[in-house]
Amino acid sequence: MDGQGMKRRDFIKAGLLTAAASALGPGVMKPVGLWAATPSIKGPVKVGYQAVLSGTLAGYGEFHKMGAVMAVEEINAAGGIAGQKIEMEIRDSTLAAPTAIQNVRYFVDSWGADLLAGVDSSGQALAVAPVMGQLDRVLMVTHAATEKLTEEEVFKKGVRQVFRICTPTYQDGNAAAFVAKDLPAMSWATINPKYEYGFTTWNMFKETLGKLKPGVQFTAESWAPFGTTDFRPHINTIMDAKPEGLYSVVWAGELITMMKQAKQAGLFEKIKHVMLPVGAAMDVLEGLGAEMPDNIWISGRYFFLYPDTPQNKDWVARFKKRWNHYPAYVSETAYSTMFAFKKAIEAAGSKETGPVIKALEGMELDGPAGKRVFRKEDHQAMYDVPWGLTVSSPNYPFKIMGKQIVIPAKEFFNRPPFEGDASKPPFKS
Amino acid sequence: MVQSLVHVCLAGISAGMFIWLVASGLTLIFGVLRVLNFAHGSFYMLGAYLCYTFLRFAGVDFWLGVLLGPLVVCVVGYFMERFLLRHVYPLELPYQLLLTFAMVLIFDELVKMIWGAGSIGSPTVPGLSGSVSIAGRDFPVYNLFIIAVGPLVALGLWAMLEKMWWGRIIRAAASDREMAAAIGVKVPALYTGVFVFGAWLSALGGALAVPYVGLLTTGMGEAIIIEAFVVVVIGGLGSLKGAFLGALVIGLLTSFGTRFIPTLDMFLTFILMAAVLLWRPQGFFAES
Repeated sequence: MDGQGMKRRDFIKAGLLTAAASALGPGVMKPVGLWAATPSIKGPVKVGYQAVLSGTLAGYGEFHKMGAVMAVEEINAAGGIAGQKIEMEIRDSTLAAPTAIQNVRYFVDSWGADLLAGVDSSGQALAVAPVMGQLDRVLMVTHAATEKLTEEEVFKKGVRQVFRICTPTYQDGNAAAFVAKDLPAMSWATINPKYEYGFTTWNMFKETLGKLKPGVQFTAESWAPFGTTDFRPHINTIMDAKPEGLYSVVWAGELITMMKQAKQAGLFEKIKHVMLPVGAAMDVLEGLGAEMPDNIWISGRYFFLYPDTPQNKDWVARFKKRWNHYPAYVSETAYSTMFAFKKAIEAAGSKETGPVIKALEGMELDGPAGKRVFRKEDHQAMYDVPWGLTVSSPNYPFKIMGKQIVIPAKEFFNRPPFEGDASKPPFKS
Repeated sequence: MVQSLVHVCLAGISAGMFIWLVASGLTLIFGVLRVLNFAHGSFYMLGAYLCYTFLRFAGVDFWLGVLLGPLVVCVVGYFMERFLLRHVYPLELPYQLLLTFAMVLIFDELVKMIWGAGSIGSPTVPGLSGSVSIAGRDFPVYNLFIIAVGPLVALGLWAMLEKMWWGRIIRAAASDREMAAAIGVKVPALYTGVFVFGAWLSALGGALAVPYVGLLTTGMGEAIIIEAFVVVVIGGLGSLKGAFLGALVIGLLTSFGTRFIPTLDMFLTFILMAAVLLWRPQGFFAES
């Protein structure tokens, strides 16, 4: 990182000198010109964004910011949304649920936000969802992954204001099981975070893999509290159990620490199949560098080398030029969120919550990550993210995904009405 | 089973020794200055970041980094005591807590401004990244080194406070500030010295944590200070012997808890603290 992260001054500059942004070249999505016929939108489109900007995970917030700011720059330089500029304010979500609620209330009640986005932790997302119903503003979740957000809050309780643009825990639990079924490992263990995200992903992995591969055993679970810096006791638990496979959604800095300490303990010589559903995060790959072992299964919510399309390559190149970083997955989801808002508002001809929700439901969006569809029933974006094996590359100072497997989203995303076996993969049809 | 027990013990002891390095300075400062320094964890963080910076940008080797990083933190500690803390000694406890807590936030922001908000993966230290097989499982050589450093620091502190003349002065000032001043001890300078020394111990812990934790983050100080506080409370505020044993107990309890009673791992530490507070509120080795 070396202090190259975006500084506050850059952020202010980004807001003030949007004209300069036109030098960056045309945006991925050109204005469609529909807005000429939609004079009903008055004043700027105000987007309140929250991400974690303090504490051990502050780096994630910076990556959110880079994606969001870049999208705002590009959209405004190309004429804005329906002729109106986007105004964005970014606040620190701190990962605490009460702060997330305070932020959305501030954004709507005091700052006058039209739309909201961001939110990192599952706990925060579940706390904020009911408030969005009261405030009646659209919230696009860009990072929090719990399936309960879309299954319970949106589908069952009918909080229609909440959408999610990133892959949910289906990617971490179900898709991992689809990959694991073809591996020779018959016994699996986990070191997982000791909170909602860790519990729900491990359950999903066990349930789906159990159905896909009868006879597979789950032999040990070790739950690491948030903020763990010494994984040695957890590694001991796993090595005592001697499983053939290790599954872990430990993420960000903690994953870097865990991998280093597991390597020192010789874990990768004993356990050949290791799956890290969020191991393809840029902070992890860059942080571990050459210390990331080869042949580890990794995935994320987007990986900058997939899809192999000109559009994605162009975006990654522009991102690298603008921020001197490869885009993290939250950068992609934050970036695409702004274009989702643009497309929905221009289609609806309004920035009011009701019409925007209608426009977003079932909407297709083309972004760096490829084509997304926002499922009408649960407001979950469906798109494909690969799983892959780590490998060194002469082109990058960190490990990348070598062999990639893409399991189509429609095969492993739980289906509405989310009840009974038929709603969960593997599907009969 | 033997292999399992041996490694659970080793993991617990090495974890305990990191906490001890931070807790020793915390309890020493409290014992002499009667200040509960929330910002003590920030010295740990600064020690780690500065050691990393010397390694990465000045190209010095790790041991020089461990020497230089904490020395810079001593300067920070000097300014903090001399120009800020000194003004709140006569005030009530809440003012000290507010001031030192404010320093935590300031140090976190400073680190973000200087080094960036992202976590930094620290470089591997040549010669220290190896492991040795103990009872059939690899254990990092570096952690064995940490297990040796802890008791050495404890021994050094004991020798300094019990056997040397200025250790006696420190103890005198700790037990009766006015009497010490009356017989000619320069108490303010002594306070500064003890504070700077405590800061050095914490920064040393941070610098030594660089290769093991493998990661530098702005929140790393807060994580360790909570454990250090628990250790100091259990051992008795102001007691070095208590802090040493407390750190060992917490390290081992966490390690055994994680392995054998995983549902209660974090809980065990706080149950122990609650029990100590109920039955022996002054801690196990309180001076008075």
